[in-house]
Amino acid sequence: MSGTKPWLDTRLPALESFRAFFAAPVLPRERPYLATLPVLITGALIFQVLSGLVLSLFYNPADAYNSIQFIDRNINYGWLIHAFHETGTTMIFGAVFFSLFRALWLRSYKTPGEVLWFFSVAQFGLLLLVGYLGYVLADGTVSYWSLASTVSGAFGLSGFPGAIGVWFFGGADGAGTLARLVVFHAVLALAVFGILFLEYLARRGAEPKVTHGVGLHPYYTSQYFAAFVVFALIFAVLVFFAPHLGENPLNRGPADPLVLPVAVAPPWFLLPVGNVGHVFPGVWGTIFAVLARLAVLVALPWLDRSAPGKPAGFLHKLLLLVLALDVILLTVWAMQPPSLIGEVVAVLLTAYFFFHFLVLLPFFSALEAR
Amino acid sequence: MAETLGQSMAHGAAEASRRDFLKILNVAAGAVAVGAIAWPFIDALSPSRQAMSVVRPIVDVSGIAANTALRFVWLGTPIYIRKLTDKQIADNQFVVPDSLPDPASYTDRVKPGYETFVVVIGLNTGTPCELVGNDPADPRGPFDGWSCPCDGSVYDPLGRVRGGPAPKNLAIPRFTFLNDAQIQFG
Repeated sequence: MSGTKPWLDTRLPALESFRAFFAAPVLPRERPYLATLPVLITGALIFQVLSGLVLSLFYNPADAYNSIQFIDRNINYGWLIHAFHETGTTMIFGAVFFSLFRALWLRSYKTPGEVLWFFSVAQFGLLLLVGYLGYVLADGTVSYWSLASTVSGAFGLSGFPGAIGVWFFGGADGAGTLARLVVFHAVLALAVFGILFLEYLARRGAEPKVTHGVGLHPYYTSQYFAAFVVFALIFAVLVFFAPHLGENPLNRGPADPLVLPVAVAPPWFLLPVGNVGHVFPGVWGTIFAVLARLAVLVALPWLDRSAPGKPAGFLHKLLLLVLALDVILLTVWAMQPPSLIGEVVAVLLTAYFFFHFLVLLPFFSALEAR
Repeated sequence: MAETLGQSMAHGAAEASRRDFLKILNVAAGAVAVGAIAWPFIDALSPSRQAMSVVRPIVDVSGIAANTALRFVWLGTPIYIRKLTDKQIADNQFVVPDSLPDPASYTDRVKPGYETFVVVIGLNTGTPCELVGNDPADPRGPFDGWSCPCDGSVYDPLGRVRGGPAPKNLAIPRFTFLNDAQIQFG
């Protein structure tokens, strides 16, 4: 091949730069397996778009619940595609929660990783919105009521936020609202790819420059492949043995506008953020609770007083484990039927979440930095 | 020295062929896996059986009495399935095709093996109008087939035009006999 380029390369010059990109020795020699998480999330999202595409062909907002029954029972492999879509959500949120925790653990939000961290939080927030929209599209017993209270809350707001609510939901909760939410669900899910790309660009800036590195192929493609196999194995086990993992079983019934379900818990991935909602009273309380949770995450690079590049100390790691326990407990608690003790515990766990970020973290990171 | 070199070359060749084998094995297994994942997605895009039964309906013809026709609407088009009598077959079997306005023989109009059934689209080929003559009591015209209430065209029991302004024989829809009793359209 000396002197002459391959046949296709001369006719498609982009191919050559593509190949150079794969071989460019810019990557560090050793990267942990967990660093493959963003790529796995991207792959799971692509799979999610494919299964969502098939579901959208048969989904009917005017008769949402029955059209999903039709997909499950009458479409060839409809049950499987539906399970792919549900389990894909679980896998994506599992990976997102895990990579957020990993960023907290490694302190990768510190300089020069702030922008990367903002994109991670933005991606998380957008995925929560997409996940919520997908949940209400099911039009089951529970999600119907969730949408009904959200819409009535949005319509009760005045001024600019109310206008946004009216514009977004476009009327009372019904077929018309579901018809537009199915479009928002798809479009916002595609927008996540944009954030993933921005994250990729920011990661280039956040990583130290490598002088004698290795190329993407074959060093990291084989690593990605091994990580993908493990990810796909977990996915397959969940699809075939627990396709409804973390869902409220009551939501499998058709919506009834006259009967309020006894347990109103949303799917598991909304609980860590959504459940703080009823700790604060009123519509504004719910909105405040969700936004405040994301806001403390955004403020994290400044709440952490430690010097950039310094490895996390013992106290930092211990506090993080307690925080993880707090979030897990809050999630598990929210799945229980409502009770007075449950309310008190939810308030305490929520208070601890903010206490960690606003008091413990600045204090102890400053202490450790000295 | 020469021996060692020969040994290591043989070893290298064995290594290479083993690697090739693993490569082929992996690519083949990967192709099967991708196909197995892609299959449900592609298959799910095909219409449900319910939708297909509208597009390709199966009609029971065992209940049709001789000298009558079953009217059946397929995707908005009236289909007539007529069971011929022996006399109607005898009358039309040996008509010279070239003597007709739109030449067609008896065998052109029926399916081999099921020669007693005539399946046509029941719309006049002149003025678009639904034909009458499914019931023996209907006005069937001089050839005991169908007649058009709009422009007076007449057809024989095989659906061939015999008189009137209509230029062509009745169209034959796409269908197959599944067995003696069932016709599948489409």
